[in-house]
Amino acid sequence: MFETARYESERRLPAAAVISLALSAFAAMVLLIAPGIIGEIDVDALLADLPPALVESMGLQHMGTIEGFLALELYQFVWVLGLGAYVAYSAASTIAGDVEDGRMDTLLAAPVSRRRLLLEKYLALLSPVVVVNVVVFCVVAAGTAVIGEPVALADLVAVHALSMPYFMACGAAGMVASVAAPRRLVAEGVAAGAVVGTFLLQSLTTGTSAEWLGSVAPMRYYDPLAVLTASEYDPVGAGILLAAAAALLAVAVRVFEGADVQ
Amino acid sequence: MPAIETDGLTKYYGDVRGVEDLSFSVREGEVFGFLGPNGAGKTTAIRTLMGFQSPTEGTATVLGADVRDAEALREARARVGFLPSEPGLDESVTGRRLIRYHGALRGDVRSEELLEVFDPPLDRKVREYSRGNKQMLAIVIAFMHDPDLVFMDEPTSGLDPLKQEELLEFIRAEQRRGKTFFFSSHILSEVRKVCDRVGIIRDGHLVELEDVESLLDRSGKLVRVRVGTDVDAEDLAIDGVHDVEVSGDGVEASGDVDDGPASGEGPDGATTVSFTYTGAYEPLLRRLLEFDLLDLSIEEAPLEDIFMRFYGEDPTERIGRVEGETGSNDENEVDQRTETADV
Repeated sequence: MFETARYESERRLPAAAVISLALSAFAAMVLLIAPGIIGEIDVDALLADLPPALVESMGLQHMGTIEGFLALELYQFVWVLGLGAYVAYSAASTIAGDVEDGRMDTLLAAPVSRRRLLLEKYLALLSPVVVVNVVVFCVVAAGTAVIGEPVALADLVAVHALSMPYFMACGAAGMVASVAAPRRLVAEGVAAGAVVGTFLLQSLTTGTSAEWLGSVAPMRYYDPLAVLTASEYDPVGAGILLAAAAALLAVAVRVFEGADVQ
Repeated sequence: MPAIETDGLTKYYGDVRGVEDLSFSVREGEVFGFLGPNGAGKTTAIRTLMGFQSPTEGTATVLGADVRDAEALREARARVGFLPSEPGLDESVTGRRLIRYHGALRGDVRSEELLEVFDPPLDRKVREYSRGNKQMLAIVIAFMHDPDLVFMDEPTSGLDPLKQEELLEFIRAEQRRGKTFFFSSHILSEVRKVCDRVGIIRDGHLVELEDVESLLDRSGKLVRVRVGTDVDAEDLAIDGVHDVEVSGDGVEASGDVDDGPASGEGPDGATTVSFTYTGAYEPLLRRLLEFDLLDLSIEEAPLEDIFMRFYGEDPTERIGRVEGETGSNDENEVDQRTETADV
């Protein structure tokens, strides 16, 4: 049971360590420059020159608080967009990569069902996400305390915990790309592109009559800015993301079961 | 119950034919050779039987499980081993870790014993392996759960001659333990060493299904004689003699068949004649003794020769040519064994 999940998680540990280190370093840098910016720059004056719609849509008015600064600098982009695209990308290379390199034959020769194989590979994908979450959470919690700008711990826990359904949805979308695309490179491009594309779609349509278009974007259901600055948690959004992940996985399993592995 | 049974098994990739209308069965405990040139459909057949892809038409059973029934086939695969033509292995881990993983997936009852014969450097990453080491690792993975039936796609590829021999010996030993093998290959010398029966596949169709013994009987003997006198091909025109080549000692490539009746004579007056012979020994020996016999060797013809008949040339053209034969031994005729022309 769960041999594949265990094996694949182990294989992903080096990547998890590298990403944890990189994001921790980035978080530390953000925290180091934060006091200077918050204390010394007049954010309101700065924003007065920018179009109000832009300030509103990107939440720039929160720039002047440590919560807002963290959300904007670390979570909104690097976390949601960067890590989200990475998770989708790695999910896309799982099945497609194994098929392309002939490893899938050796796996499918074992008495294991395609459903199990796919789901375990998906599970393994989440282990580095959990590791990165825990490490970055610790770094941010400790860092804010060190620089004397503490953030409500419950909000910080929530921003990390609620990111899990978001990453699960990104990963599930990547799994669909992995079984549906003809080649590994296509799968990876489509998956990462989908995360970036829906992010742009949601950003560009916010506040317009086409705002409903942005509802396909997973980041609509996970808003680190609201969690950190207003303690607004969105359990419904998390539920939608989990449901979407389950539905996408069901599609991926279905496609994989009916596919010819070549 | 046959280990493998196919019934009109057909696989198309879009408009491209993989295999068409394959019907054969492999008995339990036999080594079944599946011969054909590259692109004939050997791998397609194996991949369909393993359930990696579903047949376009027809069906097959593997250890009683219908290949179209994913769950039944999954259970059957617990007793099936698979050795692909190109070892598809995760290269980012050590051989040891990979064996542990695959052992967890399919069960490991004999990897230690196998590693005594097939011994890749287990503590190195697979990406550092040579092709032969990868193949040995793939062999261990294919056999570690002691399967009853093993599909092997060009199994000796990448192995050095010593390991090839060890693998063939291993297959013979496993067969004695009651195991069944589906052995795909284009190398006839290895097939004749281990296989009981062979199916010959060409352009996706099964063209011949026979015991290796009768295939060899039909292929005849390769006879080489060295005589002290000048010899023409006509001198040897007895029933069953084919493809006569005459050359003088020390004269290179004088068996050029376009030069009409060759009559090569070496510096010492000796002549070497080689031909394929499909008849009984007695008439041949009687005829040979009429010459000043210096040397004689009779060995089994390479299976390649018969093999070529099944896919080496266009069959309709060949049949036409054979029908135009008068029965005399024409040196220009490369293939005149009419009994095999009904492809």
